[in-house]
Amino acid sequence: MTPARWQQINELFHEALDRDRSARQDFLHHRTDGDPELLREVQTLLRSHDRTEGFLDEPAWGIAADLILESPAESLTGRLLGSYRVGAVIGRGGMGVVYAAEDLRLGRTVALKALTPEYTRDPVRRERLTREARSAAALSHPAIATVFALEEIDGELYIASELVDGQTLREELAAGALSPERLLPTLVDVAAALAAAHERGIVHRDLKPENVIRRRDGQVKVLDFGLASIAASSEAPSFTRLTEVGVALGTPGYMAPEQLGGGEVDARADVFAFGVLGWELATAEHPFGRDPGSVLARMTELMDGGSPRLSRALPVPGLDRVVRRCMRAAPAERYSSAVALLADLRSIGSGTLAEPMTSQAGRLWWWKCHQVTIAVINVFMVVALWQIRHWTTRPYGSVMFLVALMLATISVTLRLNLWFTSRVHPETLAGHRARLFPAVIAADTLLAIAWLVTAALIAGEHDEMAALLVTVGVATFASLVLIEPATTREAGIQNH
Amino acid sequence: MDHDERQSLETLLPIVYQELRRLAASYLRRERQGYTLQPTALVHEAYLRLLKDKPDRWQNRAHFCAIAAHSMRQILIERARARDAQKRGGERHRVTLDEGLVAGGGRSIDLLALDQALERLAALDAEQARLVELRFFGGLTIEETAETMNISPATVKRHWTVACAWLARELEDNSHP
Repeated sequence: MTPARWQQINELFHEALDRDRSARQDFLHHRTDGDPELLREVQTLLRSHDRTEGFLDEPAWGIAADLILESPAESLTGRLLGSYRVGAVIGRGGMGVVYAAEDLRLGRTVALKALTPEYTRDPVRRERLTREARSAAALSHPAIATVFALEEIDGELYIASELVDGQTLREELAAGALSPERLLPTLVDVAAALAAAHERGIVHRDLKPENVIRRRDGQVKVLDFGLASIAASSEAPSFTRLTEVGVALGTPGYMAPEQLGGGEVDARADVFAFGVLGWELATAEHPFGRDPGSVLARMTELMDGGSPRLSRALPVPGLDRVVRRCMRAAPAERYSSAVALLADLRSIGSGTLAEPMTSQAGRLWWWKCHQVTIAVINVFMVVALWQIRHWTTRPYGSVMFLVALMLATISVTLRLNLWFTSRVHPETLAGHRARLFPAVIAADTLLAIAWLVTAALIAGEHDEMAALLVTVGVATFASLVLIEPATTREAGIQNH
Repeated sequence: MDHDERQSLETLLPIVYQELRRLAASYLRRERQGYTLQPTALVHEAYLRLLKDKPDRWQNRAHFCAIAAHSMRQILIERARARDAQKRGGERHRVTLDEGLVAGGGRSIDLLALDQALERLAALDAEQARLVELRFFGGLTIEETAETMNISPATVKRHWTVACAWLARELEDNSHP
């Protein structure tokens, strides 16, 4: 194509575009008479315009942000750094590039992480990193990739650690959720690694599927203990961490709310990340949604103290409870460290998970107590009505008894059903209650009316019993109007 | 592009390149939502900073915008090439691999293919190719582009529409031969 030809195509394209869609074809056929090539060019351009309008509207820097964040540092492959002969790049992240390298002093192969100077230039961070690396090097656990040394070579910092050959959990997740036989042992291994670190006061700060590798022999290894500390800066406004680590740009979802807020974190931040990891391994989905936008939105809610609002329950009920507790917004409601978490995970395996007395369970107690109390009173009153059915003129006593029996059966069955649900499937309680509750209200209201009517029938001859019936009737009303809503609110049972 | 312009581009490009890369990285790190980088803000900030250092180097803001857009294109294309090369060099071990997490959402555009298509467009109509560079790589608005190129906004719109349609067609033809 020549520039002149392109000019011609341009003019026809715009003239056609200015016309009605229906008139375009005739116009083009008329104007390109005898030049099918020109007709085809303009037609395909118009079609492309209709289909892809706005495809370059977002500037390149918006859609390719990740390209900018990568360090332009030249490759170290092939160079001799101190006593390390640097080999191929085996990974890269926001904090630096990782090479396979040979430690010539000890004759072993290591993973050498070249830390991006941006993160190590600041003396405060540098000092902190040195301290963290030193304590991480003291960690020795089969599920932790051992840190060998923090090296300063020509003013740059490098971390030499155990080279782990295998697949990251992220890569495993690409094939879907972990199988049930694999899930729990993997989580126990990761929790054991965290527990060993937490016992020594070391926090990982950046646990995610990318940082856990399953070696070819099956051994699980957690990488990069304490390294994320270098990203925690003193200026730290909200979300600084998230982008400063660079890598976390698209996956802020592993950071506990207090960590996202830029505050000091402790072992409970790792517990949160573990919860997210556990959910993801069990379902192959992030607990807060699929796209980074919705994850970020939910994280923001969590920072404001909201609940994680998980859409469904995990297939393993014990694990579901553990993982949910890990992901609570308030650190105090999570496990205090991976040590307690590990104990619970192990007991899922052996089937002896203790009923957690979380504050949620505590608040539910009053609601459960109310359900059971009303059910017991209803049963008791029906029995009483049976006893006094002859006190009134036939057949009113028997009719009242049968009506009350029917209503009480409905009310008691439904209330006990709700109580049972709250014990076995607490996560479905809100929806279940929303469905059943209108029937419960109707049955109890009619029941209260039945008590009052019976009281009216026997009043005069049996005043004591009539007074009892009136009291129970009024109490039932009061419970429906006051106690029921109060305990429900207190228990936090809401419809979503 | 005349000789003088080319020469000034060659001396100024590395400076602008450095400044933009640095600014972009710090913007991205500060950005609360993560993804949306405002290239216009970036260009303006880079301009102000560089202007403060050596004001006589820049003929005017329009001149700077053109250089900045070209730098941005270079930065992105270089990075995309480097990443491509790394992907091809087989990675045996994995230590911590964070690539691919920074997905920019919905649509993905093959930057390298776009760059090549843009070269082909330049052969047909240099003005249109320059305009796409300013708009897409420089992030300039229609009005800013019009000002930089010294043409009317209506002309910018016309060129933009047809160039986008052409580029989209080229990219599709490439991916489904």
